[in-house]
Amino acid sequence: MSSAFAAHVAAGPTDPEIAHIVVTANTIDINAGKVAEKKGTTKEVRAFAERMVTDHSAVNKQAGDLAKKLGVTPMDNDTSKSLMKGADENMKKLKELSGKAFDKQYVDHEVAYHEAVLNAIDKTLIPSAHNAELKALIEKVRPAIAAHLEHAKGMQASMMK
Amino acid sequence: MKSLLVLWSAIFFLSSSYAKEHMVVIESMKFEPKELTVKKGDTITWINKDFFPHTATSLKNFNSKGIPAGKSWTYKANTVGQFPYKCLFHPPMKATLIVE
Repeated sequence: MSSAFAAHVAAGPTDPEIAHIVVTANTIDINAGKVAEKKGTTKEVRAFAERMVTDHSAVNKQAGDLAKKLGVTPMDNDTSKSLMKGADENMKKLKELSGKAFDKQYVDHEVAYHEAVLNAIDKTLIPSAHNAELKALIEKVRPAIAAHLEHAKGMQASMMK
Repeated sequence: MKSLLVLWSAIFFLSSSYAKEHMVVIESMKFEPKELTVKKGDTITWINKDFFPHTATSLKNFNSKGIPAGKSWTYKANTVGQFPYKCLFHPPMKATLIVE
């Protein structure tokens, strides 16, 4: 992750910034998933991509509903910007690649991405969240990110065989 | 003959009325309990308390297909055996149903 991300993580985001990070992180994976649903060469990759779209859309709906309920307006921040920069670079590669090379880029990125998001959840988002409901939502989402990571790592391992 | 019929009806009624209802909660990407033992004829209801759909699938035995968030699916355990099952959408989610 970039140094801007690390620095912002160290400072601790506010609740509106956390809400923005959550929505941004979900949207990034939804967008990559939509490409991989079509371009993935194996049923396994396409099914995983479909799962990412479904699960992260569901979390975004929950996050959006909660933000509305709490009257919190998601606020853009350096972390979200850094995530978007990485996402743009990944999307560029996904659009250029095809076949097995596409699958590898998609899956490798999904592993790294979910590792980074899980790390951010544990080290920053949960500890920094002030509002109890926002904290609870992130805590409830954490197992899904961990499960996605485990799933992606399994695919990565089988692709190396 | 009539008394035999009455006897069998009574046995059937009694065994049916002892059939239990069990619950498995799907939450935080887990099946709780992870191992459930039931009697033949009991029913099991899986309740999805996560944000996203899950399945309870034991290939060849039972398949809930997608259980949407907040919804449930019920299965009557008519076959004896040990049935490892999982969520088709999230392979790390595994559990076992034992029917005695």
